[in-house]
Amino acid sequence: MENKNQYWRGLEELNNDPKFLAGKKHEFAEGIPLEEVFTEEDGDLTSNRRDFLKYFGFGISAVALAACNKTPVKNAIPYIVKPENITPGIPNWYASTCNACAANCSILVKTREGRPIKIEGNADSPVFKGGVCGTGHASLLGLYDNERLRKPRIKGADATWQAIDKEIPTALASSKNVALITGTVNSPSTKKAIAALIAKYPQIKHISYEPFSYGAIAKANKESFGMEVIPGYRFDLAKVIVSFGADFLGTWISPVEYTKQWAKNRSAEDKTMSRHIQIESYLSVTGSNADVRYPIKPSAETAYLISLYNKIAVLAGAPSLGSLPAVELPVNGIENTAKELWANKGQSIVVSGSNSIGAQVVVNAINSLLGNIGNTVDLANYSNQHYSDDAQFASFVNDLSSGAADGVIFYNVNPVYSYSESAKLMEGIKKAKVSISSGSNLDETANLCMYNTPDSHYLESWNDNEPKAGYFTFTQPSISTVFETRQMQESFLLWAGLTTNFYDYMVSNWASTLNGDNWTKAIHDGFYQASVSPVSASFNAAATNGVEASAYELYTTNTKKLELKLYTKVGVGAGEGAHNPWLQEMPDPISKVCWDNYAAISHATAKELKIKDGDKINITFKSGKIESVPVLVQPGQPNNVVAVAVGYGRTAGGKTGLNVGVNAYTAANYSTSQMHMQVDVKIDKAEGSYELAHTQTHHTIEGRAIIKEASLGEYIKDTKAGNHDHHKSLRENGNLITLWSERDIKGHKWTMAIDLNKCTGCGSCVVSCNAENNVPVVGRKEVLNRREMHWIRIDRYYRFRTKDNNFITKEDDYNNESTGVDFENVSVTYQPVMCQQCGHAPCETVCPVLATVHSSEGLNHMAYNRCVGTRYCANNCPYKVRRFNWFKYRDNDQFDFNFNNDLGRMVINPDVTVRSRGVMEKCSFCVQRIQAGKLKAKLENRTLVDGDVKTACQQSCPADAIIFGDINDEKSKVREYFKKDRAYFVLDELNVQPSVAYMTKIRNVNEELVHEKGHSAAKHEAKPEEHKKDEKHAEHHS
Amino acid sequence: MSYESPIRDQLVTGGKTYSDVTRDITRPLENSPSKGWWIGFSLSTVTLALWIGATTYTVLVGLGAWGLNKTVGWAFDITNFVFWVGIGHAGTLISAVLLLFRQKWRMSINRSAEAMTIFAVICAASFILSHMGRPWVAYWPIPLPNAFGTLWVNFNSPLVWDVFAISTYFSVSLVFWYVGLIPDIATVRDRATTKARKFWYGFFAMGWTGSTRTWHRYEVISLILAGISTPLVLSVHSIVSMDFATSLVPGWHTTIFPPYFVAGAIFSGFGMVLTLLVIAREVMNYKDYITEAHLDAMAKVVMVTGTMVGMAYITEFFVAAYSGVEYEQYAFLNRAFGPYWWAYWTMMSCNLIAPQVFWSSKARTNPTVLFIMSIIVNIGMWFERFVIIVTSLHRDFIPANWAMYTPTITEVTILIGSFGLFFFLFFLFIKFLPSINMAEVKSIIPTHAHEDEHQHHGHSHELATEKGVLHGN
Repeated sequence: MENKNQYWRGLEELNNDPKFLAGKKHEFAEGIPLEEVFTEEDGDLTSNRRDFLKYFGFGISAVALAACNKTPVKNAIPYIVKPENITPGIPNWYASTCNACAANCSILVKTREGRPIKIEGNADSPVFKGGVCGTGHASLLGLYDNERLRKPRIKGADATWQAIDKEIPTALASSKNVALITGTVNSPSTKKAIAALIAKYPQIKHISYEPFSYGAIAKANKESFGMEVIPGYRFDLAKVIVSFGADFLGTWISPVEYTKQWAKNRSAEDKTMSRHIQIESYLSVTGSNADVRYPIKPSAETAYLISLYNKIAVLAGAPSLGSLPAVELPVNGIENTAKELWANKGQSIVVSGSNSIGAQVVVNAINSLLGNIGNTVDLANYSNQHYSDDAQFASFVNDLSSGAADGVIFYNVNPVYSYSESAKLMEGIKKAKVSISSGSNLDETANLCMYNTPDSHYLESWNDNEPKAGYFTFTQPSISTVFETRQMQESFLLWAGLTTNFYDYMVSNWASTLNGDNWTKAIHDGFYQASVSPVSASFNAAATNGVEASAYELYTTNTKKLELKLYTKVGVGAGEGAHNPWLQEMPDPISKVCWDNYAAISHATAKELKIKDGDKINITFKSGKIESVPVLVQPGQPNNVVAVAVGYGRTAGGKTGLNVGVNAYTAANYSTSQMHMQVDVKIDKAEGSYELAHTQTHHTIEGRAIIKEASLGEYIKDTKAGNHDHHKSLRENGNLITLWSERDIKGHKWTMAIDLNKCTGCGSCVVSCNAENNVPVVGRKEVLNRREMHWIRIDRYYRFRTKDNNFITKEDDYNNESTGVDFENVSVTYQPVMCQQCGHAPCETVCPVLATVHSSEGLNHMAYNRCVGTRYCANNCPYKVRRFNWFKYRDNDQFDFNFNNDLGRMVINPDVTVRSRGVMEKCSFCVQRIQAGKLKAKLENRTLVDGDVKTACQQSCPADAIIFGDINDEKSKVREYFKKDRAYFVLDELNVQPSVAYMTKIRNVNEELVHEKGHSAAKHEAKPEEHKKDEKHAEHHS
Repeated sequence: MSYESPIRDQLVTGGKTYSDVTRDITRPLENSPSKGWWIGFSLSTVTLALWIGATTYTVLVGLGAWGLNKTVGWAFDITNFVFWVGIGHAGTLISAVLLLFRQKWRMSINRSAEAMTIFAVICAASFILSHMGRPWVAYWPIPLPNAFGTLWVNFNSPLVWDVFAISTYFSVSLVFWYVGLIPDIATVRDRATTKARKFWYGFFAMGWTGSTRTWHRYEVISLILAGISTPLVLSVHSIVSMDFATSLVPGWHTTIFPPYFVAGAIFSGFGMVLTLLVIAREVMNYKDYITEAHLDAMAKVVMVTGTMVGMAYITEFFVAAYSGVEYEQYAFLNRAFGPYWWAYWTMMSCNLIAPQVFWSSKARTNPTVLFIMSIIVNIGMWFERFVIIVTSLHRDFIPANWAMYTPTITEVTILIGSFGLFFFLFFLFIKFLPSINMAEVKSIIPTHAHEDEHQHHGHSHELATEKGVLHGN
């Protein structure tokens, strides 16, 4: 039925207008102006309501979607189910082993919420006794290196481990001669895994290669004693230490172990300090700490050793080596050394850093003549911390380039960078059928290899090491692998066709010795000490045959010629640390240069060659050239010797190390026995100049009583020798008049003592502090601008003598030619300086906003959030220990170091605030550790005892030079130190009442040191010393 | 309307009448600016833009944009701050101290000297802000009640004293200057031809009627403000000097600083007044108001204060030698013969030696000599602060910390730019406000009273509102 009521939409409908009828068929009378909208020819948008809704809807959802992606959401998600062993805020400690170098120190790894954030020494270790070097501390950062390989690679493309494990065994099987190049391998399980691999593929040959080799020591011992090992040196048992260029406190073999030993006998209170004589070709950390130091040319070393042997032989009534004329050091150095050694036979030690077998044989002869073998030179507790076979590696390179070898596996070594004949090796690798590198970064070698099988960081791995005979130290992972890396031992096992993982493999290896609880205990302790069988070794005199002639020839033909000496620096070392920003920014202990190596040249030689600081030189030698090396005129450097550190000039492996310094390995000539030197070099000035980034540019104390020193003789006569300070005596007698009321601190009062006698300047504390306190890395440019952020620095001062034997401590004087300074003979003192936590802190009074205030425990606190950044406090700090955040050092591409990426920031210690731009910061005496110690004691319902709280610098010091504690605790060690007659405060006369006491440096020398102290101190000497005027130049020997 | 002995030189020359004074002084306000003004104003605007750019850059990237380092924590920033604060002192001295001493010659120069004070303090304050690591919390050194509990400022800190000193100085100077301006603004208001001018000048004239009662109030308040300002002449720079004197940095830690800084401030302030007035005399044709006698008097002040600071320099050496403190002794030897010897000898020759030329009266009245000398004085005084700050800090107690300081382009730009800020404000001032105190000058014209004729020049200046911008903050 039709609806009766008809409604028209308009007259058109009623009239049946044809136009209307046509339009009626469409839903919309006017049609949708789609074309109009989408073509937009006239640019005139005539959207209607529907379009508006459409666009609006789309727009809203698009904006909403876009907004979702705009800011990355950073969530900190709490544990929903708390893991058994992880309590947020409470650190977990794992005993492990440092694999930064083959010294393999036992360490403890501090983890927070599953992240390793700090490395400390394992104080229970009988060998390493809780010390860690700077390189060890910094190796933590390697775990969070943003440029680590994240996956295995095949021919430059990312691959899977499955593919790797499929291809490599086939490739190995089809090769006829493969070399497995490793560094020093002293892990029994790793050795066994390698043996398993070799058992599967007998064509594999294992070759040990070290970039900076000391392989000659073991070789010489084989010739001398029939044992191819590096002996266990006992510097702690030696009353006289004679080192020919062995930097045993800095870089040589096991510096932490040796520093612990050396420091034991450097305590002045015992009044029987060891006597340390260093004869060397560059100013090393060890040489700078020696009592007597003779600069020599590197070519002369063996000749001097032979002369020393002959002088001792005369005293011992033994036949001398050969009949060539003796060579002698100034002021009968060799003869006097011989006398001293002979007087302490059985309690002395002679070591040499040379990589010449002949030199090492003579060292053995001397030690054996002195009866040191079995005493200070322990062949039973020998060292596995260094092993390399230079000759074998050299022949492998020849084989590889000639095609005789067709495969190579590089296990954490980078010879393409560090081998002197790198080009030949590169060519060989390219030719090889199979080349594998386990390098964790794409370094020079890994770049060339077909397969990259990135090794896990040692903090992600299992391992066992035997650094010393019978001393096993275990590595346990403290984090699961961050990336898809696999520890190389596991790869070895897999490729050998074994299916066990490396941990089980290791456990089964140990099953016979350590099972059940013993194994757990060993892993918990981190080490296991097995007994060693005694060794009776006698020196084979025949080993010295033929040594003297070549040594004497080398000595005589090179007396006037320039020589090049290569050495390794503390920190970057042989180059492994080059891409580690903490190590690059750690100042060299001697030169205080960061981010570079350089050519160290003596003043006289520089003058002769007409070159000066900042010039660039080319060093030409027989087999090559090192180009454009910046010059550093270095006091203590022997004349006519230029010393260049290896380990720099990396071309791959991480942006931090790229193009930092020059590669000096080209001069490490493997074809002769003298690897670390070049004789007869030519130096000419290169284009341009270059400014090195120093953290210290003034080198003397300017006669100020900042450093106090005395000779052992003076100290024995008067324990206050060198420390008769006017202000100190005023204070001690209660005669000090002060405007200020004294603070009376009843509870804890935190103080620190620093024994200048023991500090070797190694810089371990600096890196440790960086890690503990989230100190940012600022880079070379900012170091040049004198804006490094380190909370602790080690000031290094030189003292010179004139030809008339006067001390020179003023820079104007030594720059003045008429004073005739002997720059070769330099006396070096180190002084670690951190915030002195003054009782009357000058920084506190000047801060307008009370951002730095005194605590009830004698600490000078810094409230970063309150700081407005006027820098008045830093200006008023007489010690200049305050550091200002000139820039934002995190999330800033200008400072592209570990704080600029999420991975790198994982190393941040959550207990320490990361400082923002524009605020002041400084050493806090590790206040977070003090709090943690107090909390722990409180939880255990006891009072704090000495040693509960250790600052980061103190804990890491291999020399135990830093003592921290509560001076109000009568049993504390620091209190004992403060009471010592050697104790003095730097700038005591300002009466800022610092909480850091320094101990007068006592040198085991016979000359008088006291009378030439800073004149203000000398003036106020309570007991005037008798000043002998008849002193001879340089050193007297008893 | 004062009696001057006929043997004295006339304070206003050229036989000016009251109407002449009004006409002469309001001329720049009521006419289009001269070419000279435009050139100066454009130059200073460009320089101001440099200042804005460099300061903004510093605030954006951090103080690392400057050449400071771990050893030298202050350099150009505080040098500039002290320099500008010092400049300000002459203004206060002229307007307050000379008012109290009834030195009538000051009347024609006090207005611009006071304006100079205010602008110089603004420049100085800009350095307080920009030298801070976190300028966005610059209000923290002000003891404001806050919700942070016991958070308060450190009243021991000289920087807090500075906050009080500078803010007091600025506010008192501003009030003093403004009160002095009221009768003159009223004059301009009465001469105004446009509504805008009438409104704005009327607004700032605060209903000045010129009645005896208002004149009486005016005289009283001027005297009171002069009384308040006078100690400020001594206190402000004494307190600024305590930033250094109360520290223990060798070269800063010295009791001679307060008087020495005050003398230096007056010295540099008069230097700047001379620079400005020698220009203004020429550009604005105010030679009859700022006469040679003015120049002569100011030159004498410059010579006396310059010799005073010179004596302070020498005294410091004596004290260092006599003290027996090796750090102090080294600090002063290092100043004169260390790596910054050139800065020290620039200071010495500019501040002590050069002003001795004013023993000659010809030099004292020769505008060219005076202009050159005024620049020399300002260079010297800038270097004095640089020497004190940088050479003391860069080699203090522990030689291992010794470092050199080199300014960056940013710092140099900010220094130059601060002159832009100063002159930008100054040019606006001479355009929109009577730069000579008409009311007071009329009291010292040597003739009898004339009938004051209001002459309407008919030039309208819509720019009048900008005066509000200038003084409203």
